[in-house]
Amino acid sequence: MAMITLIIVSLVVFSLMELVPGDCAERYLAFKNTQGSGISIADIEQERVRLGLDRPFLERWGSWIANAFQGEFGDSCILRVNIAQLLGDKFWLSLGICFASLTLAYAIAIPVGIIAAASDNKLLNNSLRIVSYLGLAMPNFLLALMIMLFATVYFGNTLTGLYSDGFRDAPWSWAKFVDLMSHAWLPIFILGWSATAFALQTVRALMSDEIGKLYVTAASARGVHGRKLLWNYPARHALGPIVNSLGFDLNRIFNELPIVALILVLTDAGALLIEALARSNDQQLAGAIIFLLTASIVSLNFATDVLLAIIDPRVRKSILR
Amino acid sequence: MSALITVENLTLKFKTDEGLITAVDDVSFSLDKGEVIGLVGESGSGKSVTAKALMHLNAKNAVYTPESKITLHSDDGPVDVLSLTTPRQLNVVRGGAISMIFQEPMASFAPVISIGKQMVEQLQLHSNMTKAEAKAHSINMLDRVGISDPAKRIDQYAFELSGGMRQRAMIAMALSTKPKLLIADEPTTALDVTIQAQVIDLMKDLVEEFHMGILFITHDLGVVAQTADKVNVMYLGRMIEEGPVRDVIRNAKHPYTQGLLNALPKLNDLDSPLEPVPGDIPSPLERPSGCVFHTRCSQIVGPQCSSRQPRDVNVDPTHRVACHIYSEAAE
Repeated sequence: MAMITLIIVSLVVFSLMELVPGDCAERYLAFKNTQGSGISIADIEQERVRLGLDRPFLERWGSWIANAFQGEFGDSCILRVNIAQLLGDKFWLSLGICFASLTLAYAIAIPVGIIAAASDNKLLNNSLRIVSYLGLAMPNFLLALMIMLFATVYFGNTLTGLYSDGFRDAPWSWAKFVDLMSHAWLPIFILGWSATAFALQTVRALMSDEIGKLYVTAASARGVHGRKLLWNYPARHALGPIVNSLGFDLNRIFNELPIVALILVLTDAGALLIEALARSNDQQLAGAIIFLLTASIVSLNFATDVLLAIIDPRVRKSILR
Repeated sequence: MSALITVENLTLKFKTDEGLITAVDDVSFSLDKGEVIGLVGESGSGKSVTAKALMHLNAKNAVYTPESKITLHSDDGPVDVLSLTTPRQLNVVRGGAISMIFQEPMASFAPVISIGKQMVEQLQLHSNMTKAEAKAHSINMLDRVGISDPAKRIDQYAFELSGGMRQRAMIAMALSTKPKLLIADEPTTALDVTIQAQVIDLMKDLVEEFHMGILFITHDLGVVAQTADKVNVMYLGRMIEEGPVRDVIRNAKHPYTQGLLNALPKLNDLDSPLEPVPGDIPSPLERPSGCVFHTRCSQIVGPQCSSRQPRDVNVDPTHRVACHIYSEAAE
């Protein structure tokens, strides 16, 4: 099922790439034109044949998708370098940062949200609400700027980039990873902050909803109480919808990443995507990034579906039947 | 027979943003061992709240007046229910000596936990049974309430059973700890009429077998007539009439009880129009002064109806009514 979704999405992505006026051959030659060399229609046609753009749509889609599944996306239209090389670790780093933010958000939101929903402590609930609203209302870039300003003024450290100078082009090693983490915590924290606020509201609302249900009253009428009542009954049942929202949240975090990345001077895939789309109409690059992102979200959704089947017998039995 | 549970002057208000809302107003009754009492009233009459009070199960914003007293006469001596606080103490009235079954069997089972797991959990809370013993006992109980293939059913989930099966499973679970009192909160309302009759028969059998008392909450006087020994009628949190079920149904005294009986469809005279009790139940925020029923009463006897609360009057030794029609005669 996940596979089918992915193939359909690839078709949509590929068609969108086609819809953009002009194609790679024209774009490249137009670029050459600005460099001063004259171009004829024949040149464009020749370039089209070289790039294989003269083949029918479905055939091109077929070869594109076959290559895409092998991590091969051809050359960028403008930059004329291999896309896989251009993206390099960027995409995976971006995705890693998004995943880390998501994990951070739910690691905080699930326990805190559950406890907040179960407790009638007004102080706790109100302070959580304020923190949540701050997280929801404050734009990420503002938070990023504030932290940078604070760090620069008080520590004389600008906190930008993902690596220290010495490590940027070094091969992967433990030391490089440690260095990465010493930088990456900041974007993870900033992205995680609003994601946490969002997730906290979701978890709390779901929990309050479950706590009011009859089966919880019925369980306490049987003498089930305390932590056992809270975790086995409403919390267990609120988990399903929470798991369901993970894919959506990852997408949202990825959307927020470029702005934060811009401020923190990170070279992430999201920023590359915007650049590809807006500045240079680079369909090949944009398509590759969108495809990779969709693939990640589809995989995550597949993983959450499996998880859902494990925790909810209703889902499990409807699949097995 | 000796009393199993006595309720004295139970007054219960809910603290809300709009102020205190009276849900139960000075209710007293007692239920003997092995006795079935039908607690009758419209929605909002306070019958479910009264029942939940017996298990000290009302929401946290419930306020009991100091005069309210509920005493459970257990084998180990009397228990003052409303003074119980810790979960361990409350275990006696929650699934121990008292069990409760609810109107919606679907909603009262946790949907993602198997029926067996919920039954075993309860048994382990209330006895020293091992997991295996508890499971064997649960299968036995499911068999006893007429569920076929109980060894297979026990690992199923509520959504895999039919409505009647679910309520049977709920009854099996409620009775597995051998409670002295079963509170049944409209247990048959959500079921088909034919299933309803089966479930009622089952409950009657089990009362005799286990020698328990049942507090049967319903708005259906027909069901009460079939099952109960006594009936208590509630209106807006007050108990307005109580007595042996035949007396009350054949010779209802309170205009409200009469109205409820008239509102039942009559199968032997299908041409007669239905006669609903006129008016709506007032908002709990605007409790009528005097007799709470006077805003809908067709038999007002004088100004005292809207100014003074009627006293309880015994029309015969076992039949009590709170209405000015009869307090006139008594004075």
